[in-house]
Amino acid sequence: MRGDRNARPEPGVFFLVLLLATLAGCATPQTDRLIESAAAFPQPVELTAVPFFPQEAYQCGPAALATVLNGSGLNVAPETLAPQVYLPERQGSLQFELLAAARRHGRVPYVLRPQLEAITTEVASGHPVLVLQNLSLAISPQWHYAVVVGFDLTHAEMMLRSGHERRHITPLRTFEHTWRRGDYWAIVVLPPDELPQTAEELPYLQSVLALEKLKRWQDTAIAYSKALTRWPKSLGAHMGLGNSRYALGDLRAAEAAFRAATRAHPNAAVAFNNLAQVLADQKRWREAEQMARKAVEIGGDNADVFRQTLARIEARTKN
Amino acid sequence: MDTFRRMTKPVSYAVAAGMLALSLHLPVANAAMVGTEAVVHAAQAQQQRSRIHEALNREEVKAKLASLGVDPAQVQARVDALTDDETQRLAKQMDEMPAGGDIVGALVLIFVILLITDLMGLTEVFSFTKKGSARR
Repeated sequence: MRGDRNARPEPGVFFLVLLLATLAGCATPQTDRLIESAAAFPQPVELTAVPFFPQEAYQCGPAALATVLNGSGLNVAPETLAPQVYLPERQGSLQFELLAAARRHGRVPYVLRPQLEAITTEVASGHPVLVLQNLSLAISPQWHYAVVVGFDLTHAEMMLRSGHERRHITPLRTFEHTWRRGDYWAIVVLPPDELPQTAEELPYLQSVLALEKLKRWQDTAIAYSKALTRWPKSLGAHMGLGNSRYALGDLRAAEAAFRAATRAHPNAAVAFNNLAQVLADQKRWREAEQMARKAVEIGGDNADVFRQTLARIEARTKN
Repeated sequence: MDTFRRMTKPVSYAVAAGMLALSLHLPVANAAMVGTEAVVHAAQAQQQRSRIHEALNREEVKAKLASLGVDPAQVQARVDALTDDETQRLAKQMDEMPAGGDIVGALVLIFVILLITDLMGLTEVFSFTKKGSARR
């Protein structure tokens, strides 16, 4: 500010603005709420087994990602990750690059609800949480990635793997401030056979879908079947499981998944359509025709695809 | 010109044969599978649609709309006609409403704007399009 020749604000105005800015940033509603509900976690929680990678220069992104990846059972060094997530000219990493890099390692990154309770719930169920903080003020941001590994509600504290500190302890209120300036961004990075404690059905399926785009069908098949353990009726998970197995070339297993989908959702035309296709691929034309006809009868979105499926199968059954 | 045609003919045959071979190589009717993304997308639109209906069916919201001379059934019809993408945008507006503020007022405002801009044919979001139309 001092170096700026054009700006000569009245000192009084300057302090008033500063005061207002500070006051506006003082409330910590989430911390207050969390401490009120402290009875849910009377004991401090700390994931001592989560490894620590001290960051180099500005490379908190690779260090934090390595922390959660290793915490999820992989063996990856920050140096391996740096070329994938670190932008030298920005001296930092972007959030979507961290997500993409986690996916390339066969992990399902899941963005948490913007609530402190979501972080503590995940940590309490053994999942370290990667967070984005802005350690400075919004006008001159100092972005920082760190990993929450513990908390103590009685003393209103968070424990983090952060920068050069293996066990950085910060007051809950301070954390809420810095995290809010990071737009409440927090993720867990888990293997496909493990669900985030706070996962919701559709957002979780979305994050598995991103792995489908990388054609990691083995991983998506595991994630979808895991999702079915928590949401047994989820049409998206049934279909995703069938489609993943189909992509892996396991027609029998795909058939089983689509059949389960038709049982859970007798009005889901997509399930009958894909089942018809899998049966056709096994040259079971009669059964295939029956299922394709069912899909056409139900209709709805993708009706043209259903008619196409039926037409192609009929071309075989009529001969 | 003629020599050129004679020279390129084998090439075009080769290309045509190659394409045919490629298409024969595909599984019987691979294009007929509906992808997971479409299913999840539809489920999401469905969830948001019911959220909007819930909001619209709140007694306070209906009462306030009526006090402004707006027939809630009219809004309902309008909401029913939204495409999936429009539904998504409307639900997002609802998400971004000030927490702890005048929720009912904000909801009513969203619905009234939906109707007004629609009558004036102002924005793309509120254009008259039937649900599941060919706009995607």
